[in-house]
Amino acid sequence: MIYLDHHAATPLSAPVRAAIEQAHALAWANPSSAHAAGRAARALLERVRRQLAELVEVQAADLVFTAGGTEACNLAVLGLGAEVGPGAHVISSPLEHPAILEAVQAIGRRGARVELLAVEAAHGQPTPAALAAALRDDTALVALQWVNHETGAIAPVEEYARLCHARGVPLVIDGCQVLGKVPCNLSALSELGVRAIALASTKLGGPAGVGALWLARGQALTALTYGGAQERGRRAGTPDAAAIAGFGAALAAVESRLLSQPRLAQLRDQLEQLCGACGASVNAPAEGARVATVSNVSVPGWRGEILVAALDLEGLCVSAGAACSSGLGAPSPVLRALYASEPWRAESALRLSLGPETQATEVEQACAILQRVLGRAP
Amino acid sequence: MRVLIALSGGVDSSVAAALLREQGHDLVGVTFHLWDAAGDNKVGRCCAPEDRDDARRTAEELGFPHYVIDERAAFRQRVVEPFLDSYLGGTTPAPCVACNQHVKVHRLVELADRFGCERIATGHYARIVRTQVGARSEARLLRGRDRNKDQSYFLYGVPPAALERLLFPLGELTKDQTRAEGVRLGVPNAGKPDSQELCFVPDGDIGGFVERERALSQEGEIRDQGGSVVGAHQGIYRYTVGQRRGLNLGGGPARYVLRVVPEDKSVVVGDDAALLSASCRAEAAAWCNGAPAEPFEADVRVRYRHAPARARVYPEAHGFRVEFVEPQRAITPGQAAVVYRGEEVVGGGIIA
Repeated sequence: MIYLDHHAATPLSAPVRAAIEQAHALAWANPSSAHAAGRAARALLERVRRQLAELVEVQAADLVFTAGGTEACNLAVLGLGAEVGPGAHVISSPLEHPAILEAVQAIGRRGARVELLAVEAAHGQPTPAALAAALRDDTALVALQWVNHETGAIAPVEEYARLCHARGVPLVIDGCQVLGKVPCNLSALSELGVRAIALASTKLGGPAGVGALWLARGQALTALTYGGAQERGRRAGTPDAAAIAGFGAALAAVESRLLSQPRLAQLRDQLEQLCGACGASVNAPAEGARVATVSNVSVPGWRGEILVAALDLEGLCVSAGAACSSGLGAPSPVLRALYASEPWRAESALRLSLGPETQATEVEQACAILQRVLGRAP
Repeated sequence: MRVLIALSGGVDSSVAAALLREQGHDLVGVTFHLWDAAGDNKVGRCCAPEDRDDARRTAEELGFPHYVIDERAAFRQRVVEPFLDSYLGGTTPAPCVACNQHVKVHRLVELADRFGCERIATGHYARIVRTQVGARSEARLLRGRDRNKDQSYFLYGVPPAALERLLFPLGELTKDQTRAEGVRLGVPNAGKPDSQELCFVPDGDIGGFVERERALSQEGEIRDQGGSVVGAHQGIYRYTVGQRRGLNLGGGPARYVLRVVPEDKSVVVGDDAALLSASCRAEAAAWCNGAPAEPFEADVRVRYRHAPARARVYPEAHGFRVEFVEPQRAITPGQAAVVYRGEEVVGGGIIA
């Protein structure tokens, strides 16, 4: 089996699995308990919190553990936007992951006017000019992503931050695909006025079910869960210490993930060359930056979901779009927005995403499988 | 041999899969997502998430990959819209024929090509025999052994090229044998009840379905054969030829729907004898092994639950005419007339 779906979930390395197992053995207690067993769990939690804080250069006290990236995104949008009511203006983009977009739409259902920024294929992310044009005096919240989950396009988040800060508008950023792919220093964004950044463990080698939300110092937040004062009252519920331990072990490998990016860019280019030779078009921003780990191609004559199944049968694991929407068969909303005049691109999209574990020989085998399967189209 | 098996989530296709697995085939399971059932009535064939889960579970327990393929757009376009048009046009459609012909088998062939599968299997109660004709083999479609379950009626439109690749593992079995095989092979849903209604109208209320889908309501007159108004109705799509219930004509002799007239939205009723007719015409003919040139003797079924009746079939340009030896009751426009030669399905068409 060749796994090229690292943007959906990443395999767990031996150190990550060991950390999870060890936490299950030693830190199973409730971290809120006052006794020795509870303290052991609490210590593990706080160690990982400090580790993450150090890695992204923020204060540990400003990091909230969540049960995954989706929850972190939801908490950012709905926790900061709790008071955003009828008539208020909220900005997001059609390229967002549903974790952001559906949370923004929930605010819209309360009566806020949601504006989705115009996007173009050439840039792959909303341009700062588009954001500047949309910002208004009554804009109550802006929610945008850092790295696109389907195309890998990198957004100019520093410029977004400057624009929002100048207008006094809170900006929250979905950074779930960032760690390990793009060097990131959250303190720089913090200084530019960003209010919240969501992070996920399962995109960087850690287990699913754990994420984190960084909050600007002093940022008010309305919790989404009720039932306890955990995470300084910002996220009720007993945290999963074992998943957090796995997250920590994965964070320890972020530097080496970053170092693997140039090699992965070469492998990605190799995949794209092959796909191009088979008649596919690459969905990548011509004028924007993108991460090295993902290749998004559209294959005329195929429906993405059918191609994914055909490749799976040959031992190649890929996806047609965001894994969260796969299985429903709905064409990628990201590509529909980017290529509005070419609907076939969304319908026939294939996402191949790589990780540090990906070997050159695997990419060669993947190319052979792609060539064989694509050749079956009538 | 890699075989593509269509799983509905019901017991028949699950047992078909288990039998093929037992024979050592390399299976690929596929479930079509055809329709989103509305309201409370979400348990229905092919349409409910539970059925897709059941199909997934069958594949998981039997140990082969399974995919859900979204065919909602094709199903609406090729089955549901023509179904609505047919009812509003005063005929009684045969959606399972349209679905097999234009959606399921068509898509299965395409998927088999793309998945590298040599054969395609379904849980239909029908049989295929392959005979050598010169250098090539020819597949013939036969009735299922279980006369009560036989589904060959719905399959006459399957093109010859698809027939050659199809396998019907249940064709030789009765329903009871299928259930017994299901138990023997440990099929997870062996006890699941059969679905009775159309998969996209699980509550059986076709009138309500037509009205919701087309956002309309209708009233009209019920007349006798002389043209006198004898009653009123709430939509011609609530009536089919031969129907007795739902006319609300008060007492008197039993009366039946003879005709539905879309032009003035009326329903014509009469006595049982007036339902008999000795001939019909069929359009949009499909022939399993090539169109016949000359008239021939055959057995013809004019609805699913109709015992084959002796007839002579006269091929025409795009259809055929049927002259029955004995007059048949309630031959209904929109239903399929399926032509058999003994056990074999020769072809069929839609009654005009």
